[in-house]
Amino acid sequence: MRDVVVTGIGLVTCLGHQVADVADRLLHLRHGFVAYEPFINNPKIPVSVAAPLPGFDTSSPEPEDWKFPSTIRFKLEQLKCLSPNALYANFALRDAVADAGLQLDQVSDQRTGLYTASSGSAMMTYHNMDRMKKVGALRCSPMGIVGSIAGTLNFNLASAYHIQGATCGFVSACASSGHALAMAHDEIALNRQDRMIVVGAEDFCEETIVPFAAMRVLSENPDPDTASRPFDVNRNGFVGTGGSVALVVESEEAARARNARVYARIAGWGQATDGYHVAASHPQGEGLARAMKLALQSANWLVSDVDYVNAHATSTTTGDVAECRALKSVFGNDARPAISSTKALTGHALSLSSIMEVSFCLIAMNRKFMPGSAHISQIDPAAGDLNIIRKSIPQQLRRILSNSSGFGGVNVCIALEST
Amino acid sequence: MTTAELNEEALRESLKRCPKPAIEAAVQFSRSHDPELVPTIVMGIIERFVEPDVRPVLREGNDHVRLLEDLGIDSLLMVEIVILVEETLGIHIENEELRNLRSVGDIKAYLDAKLKGLPLPATKNVLSFEEVAASMPHQAPFLFLQEARINGTEADGTYYISGDEPFLEGHFKDNPVFPASLMLEALGQLAVLFILKSNNPALGGKVNPNSIFFVSCDGVRCHKMCRPNDVMHLNIRLKKVHSPMVQFEGTILNRGTKVVRAEEISLVYELEKAESVQVS
Repeated sequence: MRDVVVTGIGLVTCLGHQVADVADRLLHLRHGFVAYEPFINNPKIPVSVAAPLPGFDTSSPEPEDWKFPSTIRFKLEQLKCLSPNALYANFALRDAVADAGLQLDQVSDQRTGLYTASSGSAMMTYHNMDRMKKVGALRCSPMGIVGSIAGTLNFNLASAYHIQGATCGFVSACASSGHALAMAHDEIALNRQDRMIVVGAEDFCEETIVPFAAMRVLSENPDPDTASRPFDVNRNGFVGTGGSVALVVESEEAARARNARVYARIAGWGQATDGYHVAASHPQGEGLARAMKLALQSANWLVSDVDYVNAHATSTTTGDVAECRALKSVFGNDARPAISSTKALTGHALSLSSIMEVSFCLIAMNRKFMPGSAHISQIDPAAGDLNIIRKSIPQQLRRILSNSSGFGGVNVCIALEST
Repeated sequence: MTTAELNEEALRESLKRCPKPAIEAAVQFSRSHDPELVPTIVMGIIERFVEPDVRPVLREGNDHVRLLEDLGIDSLLMVEIVILVEETLGIHIENEELRNLRSVGDIKAYLDAKLKGLPLPATKNVLSFEEVAASMPHQAPFLFLQEARINGTEADGTYYISGDEPFLEGHFKDNPVFPASLMLEALGQLAVLFILKSNNPALGGKVNPNSIFFVSCDGVRCHKMCRPNDVMHLNIRLKKVHSPMVQFEGTILNRGTKVVRAEEISLVYELEKAESVQVS
């Protein structure tokens, strides 16, 4: 098995689009939430807080109306194939490739692949279907399908960047981009590819976020400063966000050969499923605990080796408790790693979350701090024994676990170590 | 002609990104159905879908302007254009008819006939790769023509440079460039196809496929290199027939950019001998 490292980060997040800006906000716990007018002004939407993406407005179903930074100019035939998440992904991928110091011919190479994760575009699907039912298929955009379905990221990015290696999309709800990153790791470790670009992206829009209100898992708290507060006893649901994060992952050998700057090594990963419920986590976090143990095993670490755990904790009442129980069952009395949920700052980016949080871990490792778990005024007793850090702490991080869980009881845990 | 027409508000909404004269013409058309308004409407709709840098080409109003090669309109954008034209003019365009619309002139002639209820312009002579190969005296590995279309006094064709062409190994070492001499050969082959398949009366009858040979080429200028994975869009236009000599001008484009222009390519040909008449 070959060692695998991360060499490039590209970000389109509610905390900003530059590594330095995002690092600053993670360090100083400055969240990305606003009282979001389109939610507040719609009486059918029971929530008011969201975390939009600065500089992007993709609320129209017509891509030609979208606002986005002028640093990428799309031809009309490209623009009309995009969903909002594929738009953000174009920016994230471009920045990750530049951050890794790669040339375009190294991206379009038979040894470079592309794994993506998204839930597709509910917004584009809805509007395209609505038009089809009103006027008939022959009067609909021929690009409607590629700009709507779950593979839209692979379709758009693989063609724009002339990808020649492995291309695949991953769908496991809020663990999707964790699976994409983990499988990309394996692709390189098994010597099938030398380099993988992994992209998670999720629409920031009503159609993706608001349906979660039907499940009663969105926070109805109207205060942007407290709506998302994982591990707080008064938390009452998550806050929605979107965006895109792209990582460039390479064999350590390939990265060293070109003197690339290395963020961290992916030391291993684990996955396990609860086998319990279509949406809810196992109350004891059984699957997540097993995923963490498998990650430790694959990285060949002891529990005491772990400096910091980036929790999945979304700020829902049951999910956070299940994760606390899983963490206790893994670390017990043998270790007390620092734990935080950066969703207190970003909200939940759904299928993007996993890779976004891995990118936060990489940034934290690079900038030598542990991001705190913001907005806790009274800790949930279920988290009482855990070392949940409420402020960011300057520290050289050596080993990190990053947790993600999704519908169907899937759990992915990724182990990162400094090189 | 089954498509329901839009009311004025919906019409203005669906045309909102088109140039203003086209919107006003469309509103007027919805009341008067005056076919004279159609070119303004249709050119406006096309303009809305093409990149700003090629809009001047469209505005010149030249009927020869080709949708794909000159304006960069791919088949998917073409569908978007058709949808908007259908909606605006209240007509229905069949997929089969769509396939024949390759230039601005094709579209104008087609819509004019359609709206006036006249017979549609004759189907163009489009030849698939198999048909090209079956018609030509040239064969692989020396056939540099794939799909082709003969249209009146001109012909268009394509050649995709796969990179597997054996001569690219040596032209040049570790630096494959499609040879300019073979670009002229490709234009010559398209001219041969024209001579064989156009049924142009000026040629004087059925041409013997094994009688066509190159004579001369003048005014050749190369502007751009082509490499593996490039598509060469070939075009030849008949200049003059002075049997047994026939002259063409030829152009190759790649992604809308001029690659080669040859002002004059001359070929000679012979007609098939009439079947000998048996004398009793």
